Amino acid sequence: MNRFVLSTGAVITAALVTVLMAGLGRDPKHIDSPLVHQAAPAFALKTVGTGETVDIASFRGKPVVLNFWATWCGPCWEEHPVLNETARAHPEVQFLGVVFQDDEAKIQDFLRKRGSAYPTVIDDRGKTAIAYGVGGVPETFIIDAHGTIVAKHDGPITQEQLQSYLAEVLR
Amino acid sequence: MIATAALGRLLILGALLVSTAGALLGFASGAKRSDEGLRWSKRLAYAFGALMLLATLVMEHALLTHDFSVSYVAHVGSRSVPVWVTIVSLWSSLEGSILFWGLVLGIYIAAATRFSSRGNEESMPYAIGTWLACGAFFSFLIAGPANPFLTISPAPLDGPGPNPLLQNHVLMVAHPPLLYLGYVGMTIPFGFAVAALLRGKIGPTLIRAMRNSLLLSWIFLSIAIMLGGWWAYEVLGWGGYWAWDPVENASLLPWLTATAALHSAMVMQRRGVLKGWTLTLVQASFLLTVLGTFMTRSGVFNSVHSFTQSAIGPTILVFLAAVLIGSVTLLALRIDTLENDGRIDAPVSREGTFLINNLLLVLFTFTVLVGTVFPLVVEAVNGKQMSVGRPYFDSMVVPLGVALLFLLGIGPALPWGRAAREDIRRALLPPIVGGAALTVLGVVFGARNPWTIVTLFAGGYALQVTIVQLAKLRHSRRSVGAYVIHLGVAIAVVAIAISSTMRVQREVVLQQGQSATIGAYTVTFTGTEERSEPHRTSSIARIGVTKNGRAVTTLEPRMNHYEMMREPIGTPDVHSTIGGDLYISIASLEPNRAGLLLIVTPLVSWIWLAVLMMAAGGVIALVRLPRMTPLPALRREGSGEGLAV
Repeated sequence: MNRFVLSTGAVITAALVTVLMAGLGRDPKHIDSPLVHQAAPAFALKTVGTGETVDIASFRGKPVVLNFWATWCGPCWEEHPVLNETARAHPEVQFLGVVFQDDEAKIQDFLRKRGSAYPTVIDDRGKTAIAYGVGGVPETFIIDAHGTIVAKHDGPITQEQLQSYLAEVLR
Repeated sequence: MIATAALGRLLILGALLVSTAGALLGFASGAKRSDEGLRWSKRLAYAFGALMLLATLVMEHALLTHDFSVSYVAHVGSRSVPVWVTIVSLWSSLEGSILFWGLVLGIYIAAATRFSSRGNEESMPYAIGTWLACGAFFSFLIAGPANPFLTISPAPLDGPGPNPLLQNHVLMVAHPPLLYLGYVGMTIPFGFAVAALLRGKIGPTLIRAMRNSLLLSWIFLSIAIMLGGWWAYEVLGWGGYWAWDPVENASLLPWLTATAALHSAMVMQRRGVLKGWTLTLVQASFLLTVLGTFMTRSGVFNSVHSFTQSAIGPTILVFLAAVLIGSVTLLALRIDTLENDGRIDAPVSREGTFLINNLLLVLFTFTVLVGTVFPLVVEAVNGKQMSVGRPYFDSMVVPLGVALLFLLGIGPALPWGRAAREDIRRALLPPIVGGAALTVLGVVFGARNPWTIVTLFAGGYALQVTIVQLAKLRHSRRSVGAYVIHLGVAIAVVAIAISSTMRVQREVVLQQGQSATIGAYTVTFTGTEERSEPHRTSSIARIGVTKNGRAVTTLEPRMNHYEMMREPIGTPDVHSTIGGDLYISIASLEPNRAGLLLIVTPLVSWIWLAVLMMAAGGVIALVRLPRMTPLPALRREGSGEGLAV
């Protein structure tokens, strides 16, 4: 029995297996947003269809669900009904869609066909998406009544996830 | 049809049964030295290969006939994708890729059983036992946690098709299978190493079988790594070919240890030393492929390769831990019985440089391994996310790479064994001319980065040594292959140094009709085009390219929107010449305005060609099987592999 080989091998084995075990169950796509617990960046953008300007500051006093999406994004189609239903069920929460790198005609067509329970604004040059550090669509920010971001969700959101976020801001 | 899925499951269960029985029988007949046992283990090895082949054919049949009752087909199949995409869908997603893995393993095991047996009769039972134990593990994965043959009822009418990134470029047809051939192939030398350790000795026929199988995997792995880099360059749009992505690193790690093992095996053969060390490297190469499989398949690392999170992560981790513990225990128990027959008596000698080469390659391996798993350590310790980026890898790896390149020149110039001081000087001085010549040439063409200049010198030195050795040709034919590989390595390292430090990059925003210049090129944005395909829509920018006033080509970089993806994927377009590439990708695109990334990179194509040259050298070394001439000083023990080297 070669003790040197055994002890070196044991150290390497233990270290590697421990590290990899700790890594199991971690979602590498999840990136902590530095914006959580910070004030939501301000913006004023034009609403699709009406052209009215919506200012995020005007929603102060009400929790806001801010959803970045686009018509060319498959997962956004998936979560669209979830957002619509929840928006209808929770009039006390302001939902707002921000469309990212898209064209107005396509958005209008999409909303006509799939329904819309809340306003959607166009992020013209992507400035708002940059301010919110959006890495891809869909991404959803949950903002409390004081205008502070409490959570960020990457990817399509499910009914259960959205409910648990809302429970947090409606408490 | 439900029968298809059931047939597939039956074949995999058969493979599980056959491999488990064969593994047990192999080890038992090795211990009892039973010829009858060996005959039956061989039959079971062939049966395992045949069952895996049949199971894969059943899956391909289901894919091609769009049999959506089979879970994997429902998951990756689609009626709207071309036939070639349907065929390669086999390895486009987790379950199918593990089945494909099983197929490659089955073929390897059958071939190794058939072609390596002669002269290795006493080691074969253990080797077959080891291979089939791995076969049993993969059959278990396919039969259980990653089963592609589940039945879906009622069957859907159509499926989503495979991951769009895989449909983006034809290189994706070649990269995964070659990588699997490289990865899975490491199982074969591992089996021989386990056999050598269990028997406590290793003779020339076993060394040869181990080296050849290692070399074969090394060739496939080299091409696969290159194709992966090339694909990243052609498809991903950031203009580079290597990002130190965890999964790229995963493919590099076993390549590094296999390269080290190929060299130390030569010292083992020639001087009768480094036996335990060579076997350790062979085991490490296999273990690192298992680690690589874990990295790609567990969803723990973020990369272009990450498959969805799945239940097979823990299963592969258990396998990795078991193989690690088994290997370490076996090494600790047996390494001292592999007594050295010779010794290295001169530090400044061919074998001396082999030792340094091994040391550097192992250091290289550790550097990359640590950089790859470090983010996991940090997150486990304090919950903070971090990533280890290019600066770490570059600052660690560049000096190691340059040192290895120097050795590649010095080593072959030195004779084996002790040499007179005068001979050493005569061997080492002349190539300085080659080093100086390439350095001057590089500086004339604008090389200023100190590391690039050092690389040019080391590269020129190595090239002169290699070419002189090739011209002599008094060596065994295997040496020809080895020197062709060295030539490829020297060219590749120089091309990597030049292309990564001398590229020119410019970001421009052009209105329709406007031009910009980069290097000798003038690019003109002539307009956009929208193209719809069933699985994606593309916005294309048309760019006219002229060089010194002459029209050269029209490039069409594009942004692709896939239904399945959260963000658009840009596909660059490249104008390649032997001197360098013009590379254009889109940053933003509006009907009459394009934001473009323009890159001119010298010598990129040389990297691809140099790696192909390395592979060709490997094939020469492999195909022209050398006659092993045992050195007269060595003693024989019985027949065949009893010859202790």
